Amino acid sequence: MSDSSLDSLKSQWTCGKCGAPLEVASVNVSYLGSGYPVDMLVCKNCKRPLVPAELALGKMLEVEKLMEDK
Amino acid sequence: MALISTALATKNKLQTGIPTASVCPVCLKRIPAARVFYADEVYLEKTCPEHGLFKTVVWRGLPAYPSWMREKIPNHPAQPFHQPDTGCPFDCGLCSAHRQEPCCVLLEVTQRCDLGCPVCFASSGNNQTLDPHLGIVELWYRRMLEAGGPYNIQLSGGEPCLRDDLPEIIRMGKALGFDYFQVNTNGLRLSEDIDYLKSLKKAGLNVVYLQFDGTDDTIYQTIRGRAILQQKIKAIQNCADLHLGVILVPTIVPGVNDHDLGGIIRFALAYQPAVKGIHFQPVTYFGRYPLTPRNEDRITIPELLRGFEAQTEGLVHMTDFHPKGSENSYCSFSANYIIQKDGSLKPIRETSTDETCGCHKPESAKDGVKRSRAFVAKHWTYHDTPKSISTSNLSLGGWDELLERSKSHHFSISGMVFQDAWNLDLELLQDCCIAIAAPKGDLVPFCAYNLTNTEGQALYRPKP
Repeated sequence: MSDSSLDSLKSQWTCGKCGAPLEVASVNVSYLGSGYPVDMLVCKNCKRPLVPAELALGKMLEVEKLMEDK
Repeated sequence: MALISTALATKNKLQTGIPTASVCPVCLKRIPAARVFYADEVYLEKTCPEHGLFKTVVWRGLPAYPSWMREKIPNHPAQPFHQPDTGCPFDCGLCSAHRQEPCCVLLEVTQRCDLGCPVCFASSGNNQTLDPHLGIVELWYRRMLEAGGPYNIQLSGGEPCLRDDLPEIIRMGKALGFDYFQVNTNGLRLSEDIDYLKSLKKAGLNVVYLQFDGTDDTIYQTIRGRAILQQKIKAIQNCADLHLGVILVPTIVPGVNDHDLGGIIRFALAYQPAVKGIHFQPVTYFGRYPLTPRNEDRITIPELLRGFEAQTEGLVHMTDFHPKGSENSYCSFSANYIIQKDGSLKPIRETSTDETCGCHKPESAKDGVKRSRAFVAKHWTYHDTPKSISTSNLSLGGWDELLERSKSHHFSISGMVFQDAWNLDLELLQDCCIAIAAPKGDLVPFCAYNLTNTEGQALYRPKP
């Protein structure tokens, strides 16, 4: 996630569970045995990550399709 | 209690074998059979009341046979052309009891061939049978659409490139709604007739499925009766020049080229980005072969996987491979990689613990065959530039590079074990997703169509 994209998202969201603001942190995103660290927004308190719809329905879906081939 | 019962049942099965059915290699009558375990080897055993006992190896060593199980929920043909009558394998075409729809259908557009290989599925060669005319080919396409197609198409033979009108056959299929075409070829014409290759590409050919048995001419001399490695290389170079993808298809014969598994993989990697993958085929004894096969004349899936690892100095690992979701899991293997900048191979999907325990839930065979068709169409074809479908500027870390390289640097190693009159397991046959269009447009599973007895008599393939 580019810094500017993260910054603009950061100001739009708070944690739905505890209401705390979000911060940038490295999150391990793994699927079917492979994983990479990804900079994402996470809740300062409970560390729940925010996965923007754009990412979930875009690149994450592409990864899912690639991994599930055959 | 349930656990103890299951354990006892498993033990008994291992001792007496898992019951299935097969045919007698001599008279082709349907007979009971069993998969019998001897330590880590598995044999298909069957007795014909008239012709005696037959015991054929189907699995040797690790990964263990039970771990390769990928159970599927059957996907019966939407529009079967036959109903079960005499029983499998005598009602093929497909019949309503078949458990998978086709992924790929082979069109044998000629029985002529410019090689006379000692081993040939189709017994092709100096065959004077007239090529099916375009009206017949159109009938095949239309029958496939009736059956539930379009499917992926493999133009086969004989040597399909002996037909000057092959581009016309592709164009006709395209016009009828078929969009993926591969040509199964020895590459001889493609090595010297660049205009012909251009016309195939222009018509819509996606990939050249090139018989490629090894990196040494002694192998071709033995298997194909001629030293033709240079023609193979020239055909690949021509495809690369035209940005046409190639799949190398080695027939692996124990004692002839099973030492060259690593050599074939390294060769394929040296011809990037044109060579999109390798599809190994252990030798099968139908059609034309020199002698009645012994067990030492067979190579099984685990032996290939171990061979890949042993012969590639760590480039490829046994654990990269998994059974496939479309056909019966004991028919095939597959691994997909992204070629890294340093030349190493990163497996896209490593086998998880869940996948090796043989205990995962049954999967939809319908989803499996759809994925398989889409996979072949997407990855067994040439891609000019790396391009992510997503235009998002949100980063997904290391996944971004994987996605970027997944098109232009995707590389697959897969293989399929065909079944002959000795190792035919009808349960596996019923899960088959490769069909051959018979002369009148029936869709007959590959191994049933090619099945021949010890006298060379076929169940389905017409006599030359």
